Amino acid sequence: MRRSSTRKTGQSNSAASVNSSATDLFRSASSKATSKELERIDQLFYSYANRSSNLIDPEGIEVLCSDVEVDHTDVRILMLAWKMKAEKQGYFTLEEWRRGLKALRTDTVSKLKKALPELEKEVRRPSNFVDFYSYAFQYCLTEEKQKSIDIESICELLDLVLGSQFQAQVDSFVEYLKTQNDYKVINMDQWMGFFRFCNEISFPDLRNYDPELAWPLILDNFVEWRRAKHS
Amino acid sequence: MGSQKKRNFQIEAFKHRVVVDPKYADKTWKILEHAIHEIYNHNASGLSFEELYRNAYNMVLHKFGEKLYSGLVSTMTSHLKDISKFIEAAQGGLFLEELNRKWADHNKALQMIRDILMYMDRTFIPSTHKTPVHELGLNLWRDNIIHSSKIQTRLLNTLLELVLRERNGEVINRGLMRNIIKMLMDLGSSVYQEDFEKPFLEVSADFYRVESQKFIECCDCADYLKKAERRLNEEMERVSQYLDAKSEVKITNVVEKEMIANHMLRLVHMENSGLVNMLLDDKYDDLGRMYNLFRRVPNGLSTIREVMTSHIRDTGKHLVTDPERLRDPVEFVQRLLDEKDKYDRIIGSSFNNDKTFQNALTSSFEYFINLNPRSPEFISLFVDDKLRKGLKGVSEEDVEIILDKVMMLFRYLQEKDVFEKYYKQHLAKRLLSGKTVSDDAERSLIVKLKTECGYQFTCKLEGMFTDMKTSQDTMQGFNSAHGADLGDGPTLAVTVLTTGSWPTQPSITCNLPTEMLALCEKFRSYYLGTHTGRRLTWQTNMGTADIKATFAKGQKHELHVSTYQMCVLMLFNNADRLSYKEIEQATEIPASDLKRCMQSMACVKGKNVLRKEPMSKDIGEDDVFFVNDKFTNKLYKVKIGTVVAQKETEPEKQETRQRVEEDRKPQIEAAIVRIMKSRRVLDHNNLIAEVTKQLQSRFLANPVEIKKRIESLIERDFLERDNVDRKLYRYLA
Repeated sequence: MRRSSTRKTGQSNSAASVNSSATDLFRSASSKATSKELERIDQLFYSYANRSSNLIDPEGIEVLCSDVEVDHTDVRILMLAWKMKAEKQGYFTLEEWRRGLKALRTDTVSKLKKALPELEKEVRRPSNFVDFYSYAFQYCLTEEKQKSIDIESICELLDLVLGSQFQAQVDSFVEYLKTQNDYKVINMDQWMGFFRFCNEISFPDLRNYDPELAWPLILDNFVEWRRAKHS
Repeated sequence: MGSQKKRNFQIEAFKHRVVVDPKYADKTWKILEHAIHEIYNHNASGLSFEELYRNAYNMVLHKFGEKLYSGLVSTMTSHLKDISKFIEAAQGGLFLEELNRKWADHNKALQMIRDILMYMDRTFIPSTHKTPVHELGLNLWRDNIIHSSKIQTRLLNTLLELVLRERNGEVINRGLMRNIIKMLMDLGSSVYQEDFEKPFLEVSADFYRVESQKFIECCDCADYLKKAERRLNEEMERVSQYLDAKSEVKITNVVEKEMIANHMLRLVHMENSGLVNMLLDDKYDDLGRMYNLFRRVPNGLSTIREVMTSHIRDTGKHLVTDPERLRDPVEFVQRLLDEKDKYDRIIGSSFNNDKTFQNALTSSFEYFINLNPRSPEFISLFVDDKLRKGLKGVSEEDVEIILDKVMMLFRYLQEKDVFEKYYKQHLAKRLLSGKTVSDDAERSLIVKLKTECGYQFTCKLEGMFTDMKTSQDTMQGFNSAHGADLGDGPTLAVTVLTTGSWPTQPSITCNLPTEMLALCEKFRSYYLGTHTGRRLTWQTNMGTADIKATFAKGQKHELHVSTYQMCVLMLFNNADRLSYKEIEQATEIPASDLKRCMQSMACVKGKNVLRKEPMSKDIGEDDVFFVNDKFTNKLYKVKIGTVVAQKETEPEKQETRQRVEEDRKPQIEAAIVRIMKSRRVLDHNNLIAEVTKQLQSRFLANPVEIKKRIESLIERDFLERDNVDRKLYRYLA
């Protein structure tokens, strides 16, 4: 565990001058946080950040993960990213870091670790989960104009994000995705469609599935495949 | 005495001092009573009208109206009772006659009585609300004669029996019937209805029920219908002759119900003589009769229509799926046209050009024509055949008739875009080989297609015609510019095709012989000189050549060959023997095309200008070719390998089908975007419906395909789903 006690004042100042408006918002919105806490948050950031890029990169995240004793493929890291509204998979900017930790009211590693179960509960609240679910997809889009994700990755993501809640549906859908040939990628519309599917359609009988309604075609095909398989 | 009171003069009316003879009323009544008797006894001539009238007048005046009236009632009643007995006594046929006679007498008497009692009728009766004399007379007749127990039933039975006898063929006294019936009508419509009409209708229903059962067991459909028609006409005549006109619709309803409605299905489906048989045998009269009779009953016409529709659909289905028929596309289409003609004639002559039947015919054709996915191709082939040779020598009007019939079939097609593709291919071949019977006919058909489908459909086709014309002009220009240079060398006829108007062909390599190269280049530079910015590519797979050949034994022939064949043959000017590989190398024609072209020159009897070693049927990579010194043909001009539109082979079919499917995708997307742009927000089912409707004139859009396109448009951010209502789509500007 590396901890750097040297604070790069120059850095934070320049960061402040560059993002002055953002920082102001940051400071003004967080009326409750003390400046001490803010300092510690920044300090924590720099303990994981890459010197040259001033971002926490995948390596840094791995270290963070081992510090909070969570596997880096764990869904809770994704939830953390969501809380931070992190834009790029595998990287946290200072702003994102501040945003996340401030909202979690943590400024140390141990506090962060303790905050994770609470975070998970928060994310799993129905009002938040949709947003998280949609975020999860976007987070995985790595290229500039990318709009869809390959089947392999989708299967993993589905299990990660929905596995605990809708294991049966996820397992069945993953099986379908792996055996079919029509689709090589999944787009946002289909991704969201599947979530609605899990929430609204009774499983495994699929009794109330109406193909007349505007379900994405891939789900029509999935239902047909299931019915054929289990008839 | 006191003062005398002055008295006013009063003038009083002069009053007759009438002695109120207590017996006055009786006496006067007796006079009148006597008169009534006399009237009934046909002795009225001795009476004085004026005296009687005065007597009646006086009675009423002196307040004896009541006595007069009641006296009248009782006198008339007693007379009628006598008459009743008289009538009852009549035997057999005389019964009605007596009744009739007595009725006439009664009416005459009643009139006289009424005249005599006119004053009472006008003053006493209205004020006391009693029944007027005439009406009273009728009521009394009704109550004492018609409704007398001994007469009522007998009268009805007599009348009904007469009707029955007439129905069974006997002649009856219609005049007498008319009078009796009129009597009942005069007595009041309820009398007519209760004492005659109702029972008459019941009895008639029974009669026709029995008769129809009898007929249906022993007659065939056509005969039965004739009989039913006859009975119907009979009843109508009966009504006009001696019944109340209002009874007509009631009795015809009875006949219609018993004879037609009750047996409708059995008639229509009767084996060997039912509707289907009539249709097959074009029995116009019988069908017309059935139509006229059935239209009178509920569901009659719809029954005929349903059976006809299912029959047409069945026959049609067999037509289009019968493998025998599918061998010859022209024959196939001709059969369809014949079938349509047949039913048009039937609907015209027998079904009164009924629109609902025409619609049923149209929908049936639409149904089965589209059962066979090759129908669009076959119709195009039919047209091709007609335009190549079928319309030769046919008059202009007849040409129009045939083309209009083809257009009718075209309208039934769901996949009009498939037809368009094939039509384009076939038209291209016709134009390029110059094998069209009539330019006017071609253009006429294009105009019809344009009227039906719009400019979009035909603008490319018209482009093809334009290219042909323009090429002619270009050649004229070329020849006048360079004609002199050509001298004895080969001549060139070029058709310049605008890409996009003509069916897409992949460009294929082919090395033109040196003899032609110079000339071709000359043309290219001439053309590009007048049309800068264009690019020309030789379509070697579409051209032809005429070559003069001299064979070893001196035989001279003019060979009409394809461009490929020309390239191959010209090689033999410089070599006696060429291997397949050498030919392939020199011409650079792709293998499959080259093999086919060699085959047609070396392996076909009568066209074998080349000789092949070994003499096998197929072309092998190691084959060697020589000019066939022994080539003979009776004709000087020999055609080798003409390009004729044929039915596509299986792989070609797949390819065309695929291209059609690909072309549809952008059309669907364009429709979706158009609709969403104007509606802004629309739900799924309505969007599918509107898209289908918009594309209907070209093809039947598959809902699954539409859904795919919608999702593709969502992915490309043209549309989005509504956040709250999943069924809604929103247009993203």
